[in-house]
Amino acid sequence: MRLDFNLTSNIENNVLVIKTEGYINNDGGEKISKEFEEHFTKGINKVLIDIKSSKVINSIGISYLIEIIEKLNEKNGSLYFCNMDSTIEKTFNIMGLFQFAKKVDSVNEIE
Amino acid sequence: MDKRIKLEIKLPLVKDIELVAIEGLELMGRHLQIAEEKIGEARILITEGIINAIEHSENTTPFIDVHFIMNIDALVIIITDYGKGFDPSSVENPEIDKKLSSNYKRGWGLKLMREMSDEFKIDSSEKGTKITITKNLR
Repeated sequence: MRLDFNLTSNIENNVLVIKTEGYINNDGGEKISKEFEEHFTKGINKVLIDIKSSKVINSIGISYLIEIIEKLNEKNGSLYFCNMDSTIEKTFNIMGLFQFAKKVDSVNEIE
Repeated sequence: MDKRIKLEIKLPLVKDIELVAIEGLELMGRHLQIAEEKIGEARILITEGIINAIEHSENTTPFIDVHFIMNIDALVIIITDYGKGFDPSSVENPEIDKKLSSNYKRGWGLKLMREMSDEFKIDSSEKGTKITITKNLR
């Protein structure tokens, strides 16, 4: 299992796609947030986080995702997730994230 | 033959030390051929429990104690810190819409542990806090 955190990103159809690898803890959340900010300040307001290679996550890391949702909401943007395993999906459900973020299969589903 | 297996570890108060406990959990789960989905949920319980114990307890010892007792039916997780204790009833239940407009977006650990577990108990005093979590594995 890969635990040290890394991410890659690209823009597809005006959507910032962030692929994470490893443990989404405080440091991981901060890195996601930093990557988001860099593109958000340039006008990107749709973000997809592909979480396939992150099997371990904690609520501190997720608190950064809540911060991203808050900023996107202010600009009529949206946060999407794809490739979640069932545990992470359940965690997000308990926290109520899907009231403000969406689950998709791929970037192609985002209009 | 008793199929119950145990792990008892003292974890130093070191960043990301919860990963050591998770490694132990996964080895135990593989040994007993527990479904990955159940181990995944146990991973969240352990992560949140250890983070809470380290971050909020103001521990008076340089370690916390973590015990796992697992058989094919259930996992019992006991996490003990030796900090200042707390009153669980004083902890606000977090809600996403309130967190969105709040500067403090953390504080989800107890909610996740309560809702992801099958039994959840907190014993807390000024000498420390012991949380006992039971997760059914079938």
